[in-house]
Amino acid sequence: MSDAENPDDAHAGHDHTGHDHEGPGYATPQAAIEESEPEELAYVMCLYVGTDVEAPDFLGVVDLDPDSDTYAEVVNRVEMPNMGDELHHFGWNACSSSCHVGGLERRHLVIPGQRSSRLHVVDTKDRQNPEITQVIEPEEVFEYDLSAPHTVHCIPDGQILISMLGDADGELPGGFLQLDESDFSISGRWDPPGEIEMNYDYWYQPRRNVMISSEWAAPQTYYPGFDLDDVEAGKYGRQLHVWDWEAGTVEQTLDLGEEGMIPLEVRFLHSPDHAHGYVGAALSSNVFHFQETERGPGERVGHFEAEKVIDIEPREHEDWDMPVPGLVTDLLVSMDDRYLFFSNWLHGDVRMYDISDPSNPRLADQLWAGGNFGPSHPIEGEREVIAGPQMLQLSLDGERLYWTTSLFSSWDNQFYPEEAEQGSVMLKADVDPRRGTMELDQDFLVDFGEMPHGPARAHEIRWPDGDCTSDVWQ
Amino acid sequence: MTLVREGGEKGDGGEERRETTVEAEPGESVVEAAAQADEHVPFGCLTGACGTCTAELLDGEVRYRRPPRALKARHIESGYVLACVAVPETDCRLRVGASVQAELVENPWK
Repeated sequence: MSDAENPDDAHAGHDHTGHDHEGPGYATPQAAIEESEPEELAYVMCLYVGTDVEAPDFLGVVDLDPDSDTYAEVVNRVEMPNMGDELHHFGWNACSSSCHVGGLERRHLVIPGQRSSRLHVVDTKDRQNPEITQVIEPEEVFEYDLSAPHTVHCIPDGQILISMLGDADGELPGGFLQLDESDFSISGRWDPPGEIEMNYDYWYQPRRNVMISSEWAAPQTYYPGFDLDDVEAGKYGRQLHVWDWEAGTVEQTLDLGEEGMIPLEVRFLHSPDHAHGYVGAALSSNVFHFQETERGPGERVGHFEAEKVIDIEPREHEDWDMPVPGLVTDLLVSMDDRYLFFSNWLHGDVRMYDISDPSNPRLADQLWAGGNFGPSHPIEGEREVIAGPQMLQLSLDGERLYWTTSLFSSWDNQFYPEEAEQGSVMLKADVDPRRGTMELDQDFLVDFGEMPHGPARAHEIRWPDGDCTSDVWQ
Repeated sequence: MTLVREGGEKGDGGEERRETTVEAEPGESVVEAAAQADEHVPFGCLTGACGTCTAELLDGEVRYRRPPRALKARHIESGYVLACVAVPETDCRLRVGASVQAELVENPWK
């Protein structure tokens, strides 16, 4: 089942002067913009965990071709073999990080169950009709004293790396699990145990020999729901870990402080030379910019600093005792490294910032839909939108921004209980990257409330040919 | 054991309760026994960490295979149990369903 016919041909140097590269993905971020076609379908994580619907979670296939009769509809559902997984984030067997590995294809999705710790391998050779080809059962994962799989990235040398948020009991420490791309077997634990306690998302920038990971909490803390007592008890994270990418060891830990509570998604700029990135501190509702500030001669990893660059003010709401925090739950960087987009899940807006000066983001545009302050019917005549924008995905050309509305089943039930009863939606904004503007597409709403087994939640979104959060360049 | 579910409104505006009785083999967890009888009880991690299977023990006694890590002391004192790691020791009545888990944590700011 290997996607690499000639894995020995890997690493033939990094010469892009010729037009072709033999492996998957694109030679550079700009090549991704130039060579990609507009996305015609999306893969979306859909789930029933946290409801009484007696059905497994599923991979939803959404038609994004405006010329199709089934535009903006869920045209296929690949049901997982078991119930209770909580599908959440997912990733590819290969991306542009393997662009010189001849014969390797971007073809298999690795889809973890966040609660079950089960790992599914899905073959997307037939894009409209993906098939589950392999399942790694939780017991195999627990043998490495890890649980709660989250972020999946392919990494060089035919390996796949998954951040794991807890140990086999759902306590700390978490770590990283490595899969072998050739047969999707577990290669082992990537990091020496004890490098970190909490874990969440990560991104690596191989040319700087660095990886940065963030912190949510122990699974037993965040799984049941959000409890302020746990925040006061110091059970939620506020640190970033700077890793020596090749050695797999933490070289520096950045404490973001009270303003950096619960740092979630980590995004480096796409250009492989850049040492800048962003992380959203969900609970504090701030965005931090991090960068390599110095690197001494002979040092394998540079020195990093992180600074708060965007502060979302909480807002008074007549039904709330406390001002409502924005809750910055997802962010992403456009493929041209020109714009940062992020969501304020509790407020109900998505924002677009000009980051041409990376440490001084400038608000370019803002759009409201659902949430506590956005319109509950952003599209006239269409269904109600409950939760605010959450997981984002952007077309490679930077002209279409899509989002879903579910965060995590138990947290949805606390903050937007109607999300379970009515299901999530997927919405879209047309982006003008020259003018720095967004406009809600009034003709696009995917209703996950109308699924055969009942209303479903919808979380992470990906395109078959790579997207703005899937690929890394060496 | 008896599984009690809430849901729907009765004609008089009160909440409807549906009860089903399920045989539990010795050593079976509540989730396993329910599944054997084709009765769905929500579940997630199956290790006692996530709380998706939270139920309220109305009558009877259970023992735990693994510690119910997802429950805080206040939940245990209030009679909540985790159906995935709880094994009935006596005939039990349990209130089950996704709404039980949702009772454990409320919006802390509202």
